[in-house]
Amino acid sequence: MSFEGLPKGSGDKNRSFLESIYLWEVVRGLRVTAGHLIRNILHTDDMPTMQYPEEKRVYGDRFRGRHRLMQRDDGSAKCVACQMCSTYCPADCIEIVGAEHPDPKIEKYPLTFEIDLLRCVYCGLCEEACPCDAIRLDTGIYEIAADSREKFVVDKEFLLNNDTDGTL
Amino acid sequence: MAKLTIDGKEIEVPDGTSLFDACRDARGEALPHFCYHPDLSIAGVCRLCQVEVEGMPKLTIACNTGVRDGMVVHTRNERVTRASTQILEMHLINHPVDCPICDQAGECGLQDQYMKYGLYDAEVEMDDKVNKAKAQVIGPHVILDKERCVLCTRCVRFCDEVTGTGELGIFNRGNRAEIGTAPGVELDNNYSMNTVDICPVGALTGRDFRFQKRVWMLKAASSICPGCATGCNVRIDHEAGRIYRLKPRYNPEVNGRWMCDKGRLTYKAVHEDGRLGEPMVAGQPGNWAGVSGAVADLGAKEGFGLAVASPHLSLEEMYLLKKLAGEAPVHGGLTDADRGEKDKLLLDADRTPNRRGLGLLEIGQGDGSALAAVIKGVTGPILIHGGDPAADPAVTEALSGRDVVYIGTHENATSALAAVVLPGAMWAEKAGIFVNRDGRLQEFRQAVARHGNAREDWRILAELLNVGGKEDAPGSLKAVRAGLTSSIDPGTDLNQLPERGFVPGGEVR
Repeated sequence: MSFEGLPKGSGDKNRSFLESIYLWEVVRGLRVTAGHLIRNILHTDDMPTMQYPEEKRVYGDRFRGRHRLMQRDDGSAKCVACQMCSTYCPADCIEIVGAEHPDPKIEKYPLTFEIDLLRCVYCGLCEEACPCDAIRLDTGIYEIAADSREKFVVDKEFLLNNDTDGTL
Repeated sequence: MAKLTIDGKEIEVPDGTSLFDACRDARGEALPHFCYHPDLSIAGVCRLCQVEVEGMPKLTIACNTGVRDGMVVHTRNERVTRASTQILEMHLINHPVDCPICDQAGECGLQDQYMKYGLYDAEVEMDDKVNKAKAQVIGPHVILDKERCVLCTRCVRFCDEVTGTGELGIFNRGNRAEIGTAPGVELDNNYSMNTVDICPVGALTGRDFRFQKRVWMLKAASSICPGCATGCNVRIDHEAGRIYRLKPRYNPEVNGRWMCDKGRLTYKAVHEDGRLGEPMVAGQPGNWAGVSGAVADLGAKEGFGLAVASPHLSLEEMYLLKKLAGEAPVHGGLTDADRGEKDKLLLDADRTPNRRGLGLLEIGQGDGSALAAVIKGVTGPILIHGGDPAADPAVTEALSGRDVVYIGTHENATSALAAVVLPGAMWAEKAGIFVNRDGRLQEFRQAVARHGNAREDWRILAELLNVGGKEDAPGSLKAVRAGLTSSIDPGTDLNQLPERGFVPGGEVR
């Protein structure tokens, strides 16, 4: 391997005296660090670091966060259990069981509607496939945490009232 | 023979063929249609299969036109395609387009033909559509949605012509016309679910399958209905180890395109409670490793004293059972549950799928009292395979104090008194051959995984052959069939049965 063309550094055997005693180079490095420190103290607004979780990043309106199920006027799910979403889902994370609705005008409703949030890839194909606008990923929630795998499988009730913080 | 030209292609068909069939042959696919059905009379009500015949001033429907020598027919020119698109639009005028909740979606004539021949922009607003009754229960197995109906009258003709029961009819006129039953009449015949099959749209849907699964998720396996001796060819629709429905598979020699409602529900037994899932030794759950020893402890090393074969077994299992019994007698055990009412279409009085198989292997048959007498006449352990002979009190009494090995699928009276219970597979969980009432050998294939730790029956029998020290225990179902072929010499290789079955000695009934 050749080091030709590289700037002077560890690969260069012909160090000058100042470089070979290191101390001067340490001081030079500290000057860069101190420069940043002072600039950041004077201009805290320009710092890219966020004070998460006290402060949260604002995403665009089209950001796909955790799913929610839309409600009818009476609070029941708008979903008719057609299973278009679970058919279309590339991660195979939606599990729906349909059942007979007492109102023949609605006819079918989801008895259970489960999404495995660990499997989900948040691609949004489910809301695209939905013929009834029953599922959306517009909650903006991106913090999804739990202390067991089972808790990541969220059910219909959870998805209908999806206004909690990230804790499952 | 008539020679005609369809879309520039010359074909020759026998006289009396309908133009619809001739077009299907020439085109390689059927004309668009709703009302035409090969097993029903011609109604000519959907007007979709219109074609242009040169010399005729107007388009004509192909299903109700006979072929004539020298006919020149166009099925794909602009005049014809415009007509079929517009007629399809007429059919869909009042259709609710509720495909998301419709069980037919995925195998629907409206969906398929819209994508193929429609693709127009609808001009009728949803609010202007004529609303009719939805989700009406019209019988024990069928639900009617009058909005989705396109009035093709297939179901009406089926009830008039095939079952002869005539429950359904068309009521009212114009855009108020609807399919229905007369007041107080239910669509309650043993073939009612065939109307669900022939309905090209989602107007008639099955109550049993309702909302259970979207049809595109189902996988299919070809099988034979185990409900009676007719042996209707069926398709098992299953997904993730669960059977969702049975559908008839076309076999003109056996069941045509129909099957009975009783047969359609035979799959329920596969998933019902009380299935045997683990080997049981002396009432305690055991494992397969200990089975050989337990059976040997009963004295089976010297051979069984008697083997009882159920007519529900496959031909291969009967053959292996006979081989296992060796010199000992083999008895075909029948129970009261194996007989029922016969009807004039398909359902047989014999409710077992393979009684002819017992005859083919020369296994004697008898009811409970005959079996009890045979049991009393033998010594040594008794192997009962399939069925529930002990449901008969005479058999229970004869079996008391005897060492019984039972291979079965469900908990029942026989499994309760057996010393060793071995869980076998239901018909949908294994492959095999049934011999139907006409002597037709028909193959069924495995659809779903076996329940619990159940095993294929031929494997269990092969293991028992090993217990008896018989060296020629087969290692595969193929080997069993090869042995069976040389044993009964049916005139064909049983490993390569034709799709529609095989009758040894020809097609004579």
